[in-house]
This record gives sequence, structure tokens and C-alpha cells, in this order.
Amino acid sequence: MRRALVTGASAGLGLALVRALLTDGWHVTGVDRDPVADGLSANYDHRPCDLSDPAAVDALCAALPPALDLAVMCAGISATGRFETIPAEAHARVLAVNAEAPLVLADALIARGALSGLVLVASLSVDVGYPGAASYAASKEAVVAYARSLRAARKSPRVMAVLPGPIRTAHAARHAPDGASDRARMDPDDLARRILRAVRSGRLTLRPGVAATLAGAAGRLAPGATARAMRRALFEKLDRDVW
Amino acid sequence: MSTPGRVLVTGGTDGIGLELVRLLSARGAEVVGTGRRDGPDLPKTRWVRADQSHPERAAAVVREACADGIDCAILCAGTGTVAADGVEGADAIRRTLRVNLTASVLVAHALAPLLLDRGGTLALIGSVARRGMGALPAYAASKAGLHGFARALGEEWRGRATVVALHPGPTRTGMQGKAGMEVGGAARLFVPAPLMARTLLARVDAAHGTLRPATLTVAHAAALRRGAAERLGLAR
Repeated sequence: MRRALVTGASAGLGLALVRALLTDGWHVTGVDRDPVADGLSANYDHRPCDLSDPAAVDALCAALPPALDLAVMCAGISATGRFETIPAEAHARVLAVNAEAPLVLADALIARGALSGLVLVASLSVDVGYPGAASYAASKEAVVAYARSLRAARKSPRVMAVLPGPIRTAHAARHAPDGASDRARMDPDDLARRILRAVRSGRLTLRPGVAATLAGAAGRLAPGATARAMRRALFEKLDRDVW
Repeated sequence: MSTPGRVLVTGGTDGIGLELVRLLSARGAEVVGTGRRDGPDLPKTRWVRADQSHPERAAAVVREACADGIDCAILCAGTGTVAADGVEGADAIRRTLRVNLTASVLVAHALAPLLLDRGGTLALIGSVARRGMGALPAYAASKAGLHGFARALGEEWRGRATVVALHPGPTRTGMQGKAGMEVGGAARLFVPAPLMARTLLARVDAAHGTLRPATLTVAHAAALRRGAAERLGLAR
């Protein structure tokens, strides 16, 4: 039986991935600071862990299940609003959860040797910019560079970076401007299926969906203009700090 | 475009940072240099002990040191370790991320009111490694992080302060050695630190006062062009 690790397993995209993997017959170990929903199959095993706590991450690394085939680093938090009015600790936490934890975990798993696939969930913000979430933007760009570095360093595990646009989750709703519609956000179950398909086909970088592909291309061709557009579309509409 | 009068340089005790401190002091700027030890005695230059492996503490120290106001903050402190087959170990990853990225973000946060108050400039020294580098994965990640941060913050601060992301190519400093990297003969191709510092500082000068974000990659060729122009008496 194939075995997967998913961080951020209790909600949003992480939970969708857990469900999709279980449906596909995988055994899944989920990591999250929050407890997981009831009713998941017996092939699921939950590890509570606050990824912002380095000691907890180290304990998790020391107790990882053996023989993992796939690891999906999906856990992520954000801090949106004006950079200078968001508390410093909130920024530090974003970097700890979104960048430090997945890198430390991935490194530990790779050192053990059994992993054949690693998925790092970053963000389309890497292509388009994210004024209004400067520490989040930093953390996601870090993750993509780490993925590229690993690929340059070694053939196994196969490393995929995912750069989703907005997803229809409670997290996205919390950090979006007031009154923003969720129509254009991707369904998390749909995204989970796309991710697993991309893993099977050996994709290196996944920008899921046409909108993400186009926005990503625009962001790479005209980064300054795109970041300026993001300022108007996002930053100027944020009316409060959320972390 | 103007020349900043009071400048902070983190990582000012070695490498590119030290050359920046020398340049700024030579042209009459008031300089605050940070590092884990004191740097050399230079005119109008003050040294402040800050260890960026403890980001919150480093940010508090810097904030206090700059309390009288700062025109420009150049965040140059950086570290890295070489990974064997992409594997570095948790301690090395944490150290690199915290020193290079978290501390820089928190220093920027601590100085934000001062920079916004006088339309100052925040310059983040990244690296071409930000595109990904097999030998230095966490280092690459940290430098990419600085770029993402600068790009976002620069737009937030548009019209209020200037944020510049500068990405040097390989430079002849002690960093490669400290990282455990064997550079060997390739060091001859690296840009000398003083020339890189002059090139970076020229870009900071050009951006200062524009209140717009800017990004520049100072690849090998650009710095060498500058070096050649200087020898011919062309560079301003």
C-alpha cells in the first residue's frame, strides 16, 4: 500500500488531498495543529503538530512513519493587510509555518531516502506578486526556489511545486478583501485531483487551471505591471489586518 | 534621485556589506553597520552588535540604533551552508532562513515607521541564487524570499518609500568559504566585492527618492562593464 504524508490535513486543500488520496487507496498520515474531521477511513492517521513550533517540528521529524512514498507540504497561514501594522510576530510565524517547516520536513524525509515524490504547495503570488501579504509572498517564493534547488541537486524524490491561484477555502475567505466573491476561486477537491494527476504524470511545476496559467504567464512577462495590478486588485481593497 | 545621508548596513562587518560601509563612509554618510562583531574604525561610522540568527532581538537592536532616523537601510547580512545532495539538516536550514530572510523582514518591520516617515529606501541584497541552486537550497530559498518580499512591499509602499531588490551574481567574499563551498579557480570569475558594492550602491542612489519599487540583477557582466567604465573614467 502506498503511503503519503500531508501537512495542513485538517482543512482546506490539505483535507481535500487527504480525502482524494484515501479514495485512491493510499494510507495517509496527516499533520495539523487542529484535530481532523471525523469519518475519515481507517487508513488515516493524524499527527497533531504546531508547525510554528520548531521543537514540535523536530519531534515530528523524529517520529515520521517509515516508508513514505509521497509527502505533500500543504500547511500554510497568512498575514494580510499593511506590512508595517501587522505585528512582527505574525510575520515571523508566517515564515516559520510556510517556509521553515516544509523545508525542514522535506530535508528530513529526503535524508531518510525512501521518498519518491515531494509536493510543495506554494502560490501563484510567486508569479504575480502579493502586495498586502508581504511575508506570505516571501514564504512562497522561498518554497519555489527550494523546489528548484532540490531538482538541481538530485533526481529523487521527484519534486513538484504547485502555484495555485485563490482556492475556495475558509482561509482564503478570511484573508480576502471584504465582499470579495468566491466565484473565481478554485474548488479544493478539484484542485486536489489536479495535483494528484500532476504527481502521477511527473509535472515539475503546476499552475492549476487556465486562469492560473494565464496570470502566471502575465506575471513572468511583465512582473512590475502585474504587481501594480495586484496592488489595485488586492492591497487597496484590504480594509483591515488579518493574521 | 538623491544620496542618502544616514544609512544602515546590516552584515557590514564583512564581504559586500563591509565594502558598502567603506564607500558610504568615504563619501560622508553617517553609517550604522551591524554584525556579530565590530567593524573597522571609519569616519562617521558606528558599529552595532546584532546577531541575525535571533531575528526578533536583532530587529530590536537595529531599531534602537536607528532611533534618530534613517534615510536608507541596506540589508546585506547573509549566511549559507553547502548541502550534500540537496540535504542540509534542520539546524542549517533554520539558521540560513532566519538570518537571511526572517531577520531581514523583521528589521524592515522595525525600521518601517522611520523609512516611511522620511520617504527612505529599503534595499534588500538577494542573490542570483534565488532562481534555485542545487548546492545551496536553503540559501536559494532565503534569497528568493527576499525577492518576493521586496516585490510585495515595494508596491505597498509605492509613493511612501522606496524598496529595491538587488541580486548580485557570484562575488569574491568570505561567504563561499564560510558556507563550506570549494570555489577554487572559479573565484577568478567572481566579481571583486568592492566593485560589486560600487555597482549596488549606484543602483541604490538611482532609486533613492523615487518612492517606487525596483529590482536589479547585478550579474557578472554588468559589474564588469562598470569596472571597465570606471577604468576608462566613464562611470559616474
